[in-house]
Amino acid sequence: MEEMISAQAHVIGYVVGGGLEANLQVRLTVPPQEVQEGSFVVVDSGGWRFYGLVTDLQLGSTNPRFADEQSEERLPRQLAELLHGQTLYTNLAVMPVLMMERGPELGTKEYSQWKDLHPDEAKPITVKTVPSHHSPVMLADAADIAQIFGTDNHAEIFTIGYTREQGHPVCMDLDKFVKRSSGIFGTTGSGKSFLARMILAGLIHANHASALIFDMHNEYGPDSSSSDTGAAVPGLKGKFGGKIQLVGLGAGTSFGKLNADLSLEIAQSDITSEDVLLLSQALNLNETAATVLAALERDFGQNWFSEFMSMETGTSEQDENGKSVPAPDSVEAWAGASNVHPKSALALHQKLGRLRSKTYLIADPATKGLKAIIESLEHGNSVILSFGKSNTELDYLLVTNLITRKIRDHWEERTEAFHAKKDSKVTEPRPLVVVVEEAHKLLNREMASQTIFSTIAREMRKYYVTLLIIDQRPSQIYDEVMSQLGTRISGSLGDEDDINAVLSGLPGRGALRGMLSKLQAKEEALLLGWGVPMPIPIRSRRYDDKFWEVLLDDTKGPKTIDEASRALGFGGDDTD
Amino acid sequence: MSEETKILIGKLLRADNHTFVAGCRTKDLVAPALGALCKVRLEDGLEIYGLIGNIVINDDSLVRQLVSGISIPTEYTEDNRHNRNLPVEINVVCVGFGQDGKIYHRLPPRPPLSLDALYLCDDEELVRFTGTGRYGYFRHILRLEDQPVEEILTAHLARARQAHARGGRPDWYTGACKELIVLLRDDYEGLMNVLNALAELE
Repeated sequence: MEEMISAQAHVIGYVVGGGLEANLQVRLTVPPQEVQEGSFVVVDSGGWRFYGLVTDLQLGSTNPRFADEQSEERLPRQLAELLHGQTLYTNLAVMPVLMMERGPELGTKEYSQWKDLHPDEAKPITVKTVPSHHSPVMLADAADIAQIFGTDNHAEIFTIGYTREQGHPVCMDLDKFVKRSSGIFGTTGSGKSFLARMILAGLIHANHASALIFDMHNEYGPDSSSSDTGAAVPGLKGKFGGKIQLVGLGAGTSFGKLNADLSLEIAQSDITSEDVLLLSQALNLNETAATVLAALERDFGQNWFSEFMSMETGTSEQDENGKSVPAPDSVEAWAGASNVHPKSALALHQKLGRLRSKTYLIADPATKGLKAIIESLEHGNSVILSFGKSNTELDYLLVTNLITRKIRDHWEERTEAFHAKKDSKVTEPRPLVVVVEEAHKLLNREMASQTIFSTIAREMRKYYVTLLIIDQRPSQIYDEVMSQLGTRISGSLGDEDDINAVLSGLPGRGALRGMLSKLQAKEEALLLGWGVPMPIPIRSRRYDDKFWEVLLDDTKGPKTIDEASRALGFGGDDTD
Repeated sequence: MSEETKILIGKLLRADNHTFVAGCRTKDLVAPALGALCKVRLEDGLEIYGLIGNIVINDDSLVRQLVSGISIPTEYTEDNRHNRNLPVEINVVCVGFGQDGKIYHRLPPRPPLSLDALYLCDDEELVRFTGTGRYGYFRHILRLEDQPVEEILTAHLARARQAHARGGRPDWYTGACKELIVLLRDDYEGLMNVLNALAELE
């Protein structure tokens, strides 16, 4: 069957030169308009099939004069066409990426001999040699693409888009996607939030990992409408119902018609000095703040924030000598007693006043919101944390970092308990994906060393927690974090620096740069990195009713018992 | 076509492996034309094929005298046409040979001999010779120096194209043009000369 398909495949040219370092040169035998940059092509040579990407098309001529002179004006049409056919040509630059052994021709004696020696199903491997001269080059068909990218199994193998010319489905392995931190990039309007919604929908539907989504703009949970077309955009909550917990930050956060499943209030005692230091820029803290914070934590322990904020400022009383001294409950008095410069302490006290006014930060929360979130995530649900009205940068930085730190600490404990295996009841922690929008605010060069996010990005999957970064300015994200990202999905990016950032640490950057810079402004994306077998530009799937219809169609459920049990939340023994 | 109906156009004057010259009487100079395929059949059955590359009419002292006279009486001209002692020379470029019913586009093992008869090939034979192989005989023509290669080619292709079209292979001419372009594409001037000449056929 496969051989039959390949026999019918449309040959577009033949190999004329090139190599692994430089791209392969392919002489095109069809009009150049039939092939585009980024086309996925296959080359058959010597029992191997090579898979590559068209990275460039170059016009050439056997003699420059044939190109210079408009011979079609001098010669009859038929002759001119013949002349052009033989003297003017287009060369494709093809970046070879993968190769797979196919053996001799199917059905021959040689094939059965070869098959006896190679009983295992062949797998594509990274390209290590080149096809011979004059090997035929074909546009990849649906079977080739399925061979490399897999076939949608209505679970973790998820159709993310289609090839641009022929519309063959391109799938992504979501299990692999969440094994390392990943990123979705693109300028505003390039459709990155639709892509993110679809991937999250796929993840939640596949049910192999939980997602914690920091929804800064209230767009993932509730239904909304498209900023371009005004069409209704279904939210995840409406489609997945109980599998999603909508969490509002602070009491009274509303989601239009939907009510929050939970209100998150954060105890003041949960704030650490590191959390505050992270906000140095946002709060415009002085350099001395660190010293003051250290003294506060030393004196008051985890209650430092409430203790400090309850201190008075500027109050004084007279001592027995009639001299004016700071009142005992004042900042100045504490500073004096703790060997801290009173002015530094006062400045910090004043600046932290912005945090005290936050409605979600309270001394003694009535509900254990954070604990409920962790439990929900552990039980396989996903959580969308909406910032509601508290959506300033300060809120975002404080809350995402604080919650993520707590959650990751919990996962770390769970992982260590699991590895220690003291208690046979301890199950493997459920993989967790933390979704952060506007990630450059948390992962820029200044912040990256301090936030929990860069730690998560670096330690990869050690504690079962990975990041999904959604951002429009990847160049603002710290290089070390960027280079740790496994899968990168990028929509159109205008800025040269952003393009370079997305490609950082990847092979074949030169060729991919051109492809990335020429993506359509909408609905096109380039899949890159560790999570995909090879880079490929796609036309992304549409986030519409049909998407949901196909995704939620239960008749196409997982096929094997193992998949079914995993989908029901029973981790198989092989998940280690 | 039987041997008798083939058109005899001359007898060999001299020959080597790659060219030969036949002579004919002035009054017979109707059938031979530039680019026409002709052949000499040797006694051992070897058939040597050639293309007419040039036709030469030499002068003699009588002609010179006549030409330098004030007026030439008609009967003198007529007499010169019919009874002239000097033959018209037909230069033939050797392009291949036939042996044991097979056609080869190589040079013959040996040249024809003097006084061997030179026949014009008919359409059927033209199609058979030119339709064999992949236009290999073009190289003998393209090798010619100091001769209007493009004219010989064009004259030949015009005939062969018609013959093949009548024989049901109109694509033969396209293939021939393609082959010429491939052979000449490193020689821009030469190729454009040939193509400009071929353009007149359209």
